[in-house]
Amino acid sequence: MVKQNTTLDIERNLGNFAYPETHTHDAGTGLTEKTIHYISDVKQDPDWVREFRLKALQTFLSKPMPTHWASKDLEAIVFDKIRYYLSGGIQPKRTWEEVPDDVKRTFERLGIPEQERKFLAGVEAQFDSEAVYSNIKKAVGEQGVIFVGSADGLKEHPEIFRKWFGKVIPTGDNKFSALNSAVFSGGSFIYVPPGVKVKHPLQAYFRINAENFGQFERTLIIVDEGAELTYMEGCTAPKFNTATLHSAVVELVAMKGAKIQYITVQNWSNNVFNLVTKRGLAHEEAEVKWIDCNIGSRLTMKYPGVVMKGRKARGEVISIALAGDGQHQDTGAKMVHAADETTSNIISKSISIGTGRATYRGLVHVPKHLKNCKNNTECDALLINANSRTDTYPAITVRGTGNAVQHEASVSQVSAEQIFYMQQRGLTEAQAMSLSVNGFVNDLVRQFPMEYSVELKRLIELEMEGSVG
Amino acid sequence: MDQLVIKDLHVSIDEQEIIRGLSLTIPKGEVHAIMGPNGSGKSTLAKVLAGHPDYTVTSGTVLMNGENVLDFEPDERARKGLFLAFQYPSEIPGVTIANFLRAAVQARMPEGEELEATDYYAELYKKMDLLGMDRSFTSRSVNEGFSGGEKKRNEILQMAMLTPEFAVLDETDSGLDIDALKVVAQGVNSLRGPKLGVLLITHYQRLLNYIVPDHVHVMVRGRIELSGGKELALQLEEKGYDWVRDDITEPALA
Amino acid sequence: MDPSAVLEKTAAIVPENAAILGGPQSRGDDSRPAWFGDQQQSAWTQFQSLPMPVRTDQAWRFSNVGALDLSPFSLARPLAEADGREVLERSVGLDETCGRLVFADDHFLERDVLSEKLRNAGVIFQPLERAMIEHEDLFRRHFMSQPATLGSAKFAALHEAFVRSGTFLYVPRGVEVELPLETFHWLHAENAAIFPHTLVVADELSKVTLVEYFRSTDRTRPGFACGVNDLIVGAGAKVTYICAQDWSDHTLSIQINATTVARDATALNLHLGLGGKYSRLESLSRLAGEGAHSDMLAVAIGTETQEFDARTLQDHASPHTFSDLLFKNALTGSARNTFGGLIRVEPQAHFTDAYQKVRNLLLSDDAEANSMPGLEILADNVKCSHGATSGQLDEDEMFYLLARGIPAPVARELLVGGFLNEVLERLSDPVLVAKLEALIAAKFARRAR
Repeated sequence: MVKQNTTLDIERNLGNFAYPETHTHDAGTGLTEKTIHYISDVKQDPDWVREFRLKALQTFLSKPMPTHWASKDLEAIVFDKIRYYLSGGIQPKRTWEEVPDDVKRTFERLGIPEQERKFLAGVEAQFDSEAVYSNIKKAVGEQGVIFVGSADGLKEHPEIFRKWFGKVIPTGDNKFSALNSAVFSGGSFIYVPPGVKVKHPLQAYFRINAENFGQFERTLIIVDEGAELTYMEGCTAPKFNTATLHSAVVELVAMKGAKIQYITVQNWSNNVFNLVTKRGLAHEEAEVKWIDCNIGSRLTMKYPGVVMKGRKARGEVISIALAGDGQHQDTGAKMVHAADETTSNIISKSISIGTGRATYRGLVHVPKHLKNCKNNTECDALLINANSRTDTYPAITVRGTGNAVQHEASVSQVSAEQIFYMQQRGLTEAQAMSLSVNGFVNDLVRQFPMEYSVELKRLIELEMEGSVG
Repeated sequence: MDQLVIKDLHVSIDEQEIIRGLSLTIPKGEVHAIMGPNGSGKSTLAKVLAGHPDYTVTSGTVLMNGENVLDFEPDERARKGLFLAFQYPSEIPGVTIANFLRAAVQARMPEGEELEATDYYAELYKKMDLLGMDRSFTSRSVNEGFSGGEKKRNEILQMAMLTPEFAVLDETDSGLDIDALKVVAQGVNSLRGPKLGVLLITHYQRLLNYIVPDHVHVMVRGRIELSGGKELALQLEEKGYDWVRDDITEPALA
Repeated sequence: MDPSAVLEKTAAIVPENAAILGGPQSRGDDSRPAWFGDQQQSAWTQFQSLPMPVRTDQAWRFSNVGALDLSPFSLARPLAEADGREVLERSVGLDETCGRLVFADDHFLERDVLSEKLRNAGVIFQPLERAMIEHEDLFRRHFMSQPATLGSAKFAALHEAFVRSGTFLYVPRGVEVELPLETFHWLHAENAAIFPHTLVVADELSKVTLVEYFRSTDRTRPGFACGVNDLIVGAGAKVTYICAQDWSDHTLSIQINATTVARDATALNLHLGLGGKYSRLESLSRLAGEGAHSDMLAVAIGTETQEFDARTLQDHASPHTFSDLLFKNALTGSARNTFGGLIRVEPQAHFTDAYQKVRNLLLSDDAEANSMPGLEILADNVKCSHGATSGQLDEDEMFYLLARGIPAPVARELLVGGFLNEVLERLSDPVLVAKLEALIAAKFARRAR
């Protein structure tokens, strides 16, 4: 039998450091209208944003916790103990040298902007509530691509921003989207003009540095007709003694024939509640693809979705979740078909180790009178230890005669026999385990851009180390 | 020195003794066959030699080139030159044969030394040609969706690539039709030589028509009861295992 | 037994046309044991204290909870003698059985007695109201012993408060009942409420098959059926249970099943859904003993505005257990189907194999299928998979049949039959398969008219 001992954290330790807090702006703990006004004042919000926030606060307060279907662990979040806004009061810097030294050290330790020099078209780095560094390569900027923080986006480009903001994910979509709408700060605003194909990915990096803090970034990406964009985000936080909340809202709009690929590698420390709402709107012949990899956090609840609004639109979710000891990765996908000949594809693979729990929740909706819509869902789970757990809860609605929907799920095991077989060929138990797990996720890891797939494979290997023996 | 010596081996699972004082010596260059009825402990012997964790060795030694292999982990035994061809090889989804074997070959190289990919593939293809295997085989996941014949051929391919000093072939003929049996036997025969000792475990005599052993041992209730030359196998085929049992002086259990 | 004698007797003890929402009335004569009356009263209290389901309950997601209005329904009087005779004439099942019970509007009409051989072997096959007196200990031990956990706790309480009749089947250790037993439950009076109850206790190494038919005398009359069938399958026993539901198309039907499978035992459940306006099936298989095996099968054919709602649980509580669920639904008109199923493998249930497959065939633009296949795996060395598909008849297959000169409606019927056959073929007895095929064909014929 595979033994169980799951002290991981070799990779997490990379992010597990914190600098003393030197915030000039702090909204204090707890959430009231006063908190909203404080945030709006500091950020010099336009009136419509202040109104939007206040209304969202009411929605948030009126909505119950979704514990009737979701994990009871949500009850561990004490909203009154959280600090909703923290910033150093600095404007995002356009050159690396301008960034304050302690913040710079943080990101340098994490390998940013090293990566930017290598292959990125632009980077934004968020430290607690605000972006501290934002840079877009000149060539990309000259094509008319806008890549700024959401605060700048709503002030500098209100004509595009207001048209789509809160339209893909309404405030009342769920309790946490309402919370984000009330206190959002940071995140990216991106606009890609018609026909522009951004060759290299844009990247955002999120870092929580303060304890008892909630990070609520808001990202809005609009890719105009025939344009293409790849966006990547990464997240880390040091390990504090108390739980931290990350609750983002990400809205994507792909206009006719546009393509958006959104990649997330989430590696929060394992006391972060990661409750994120992500949805894309795909117009005619457009494609929205979410590639979502969840390795960190205590509880992640995230079901990236695509609303296929135009004919022949395509939606895809590729999801990898690794649930280690004490972690619950509650992930999945939502596919809403709202036009003829739309196709969606969901591939989800999860790995549960030790006492980890991986849950897949899916929603596929094909309303009536649509023709030739197709959905294919595959979700596979791998269990490593006797006390790990996996659940699958899809919900599929199909009406009418012109559509085909297929869902398949399986659960398998790295069995003791399999490990023994590999050991007999001379591999150590750890090597054997790592080979098995990589075999399980291999076909998905290949979907990631080269730089990330190498990184991901290494992450998984490190996570697996110590899970046997 | 150049031999595998099993001395007075006792093995239990869940407090039940399955191997009860087995002794056997296999010098390099020889092929020994163990035959026996179902439940005689043949397959247990194979797994114990390889270090399967389900079994407990209560006493005895297994010396390979003078070292007691029972002191080592399964992977250490393998790297020291002991190979087991499994009766039921495990499936390893998503791991290709090429990558799997490469990891296994790499594990045998001294620390810091990297396997040269071109050399490796040249060697792999050579061995595959020998076994009449299609090149596309290497990109399939290990044993996943393989037919019985393919699984066994894959075992022999691994044996060819890992160049063991002693190989234990556990019921290698099970699940094989006559054509597949010939191919597998041919593969094993091509690996025979002064540097390899082979222990063939089989229930049926037919495998021994194709891999002709130097010695045949009959195992009954956890111990070798009768040894002889290859003609012993034919005698068994004719008279059945009851003949050996009747021959045993010890009273039958229950 | 002379049926008219029964009619006379029951007529005296049943309250007349009492709306069920008024609660159970005390019965004048009441030959039933006091414990039973008490149990009914406390069940009624429980029914009142539990909330009506709402769609936001996960167990009622996608369900048309608006259909659950119970106010029109009341307990019905015994049938007039002529009607009773007609019902008996229409209660035609298999050619060869070894026992039959017939009920109409929850009144016991007739019993074809078991052979002497089976009686001597200790087999009990009798109406509930007799079993609770004649075999009180055995009956009480198992009656309503399985809590309804798939959403209908309220309706299980309602059932318990009102249950008047039904079937008690007991097969002693080692007894194999070769021929099937049958029961008929008829809905007759307008807006009648019935509470069919079936309790099967199969002792160790026994074997039995029970076929139940749920039907309405008049296809246009509304009614309400709220049934419970519990199967207790002892070690090494084999129970086959078939329910052929063909209520009128204006019937509200809730059927709650719990099957407990002991060590090395095998249970097979097959539910055929043909009738009903809204029909909900809650089916639970608990694999309680090592080596237990359960097959859960269902076929539903939805036409017009029919709605079928199935909720299942394959609960693996022991190691080396096996369950296999296959539900197939063919939907036309604006029929809806909802399937919510869960495979749950408890932490100690290692080496479990569990499979779950749902296939929906959508034959019209307004037909709707909702599928929620679920897995919760807490054990090790488990092989589990589930699949749900929704699609149409294969156009090429259809064309092939048309090209042979087969008219489109016939071709469609053939292909739908072929689609559903995979489920029926899981029954090893060709006589049972033929019977179910005939019932399906009758539904097609009814539509064609």
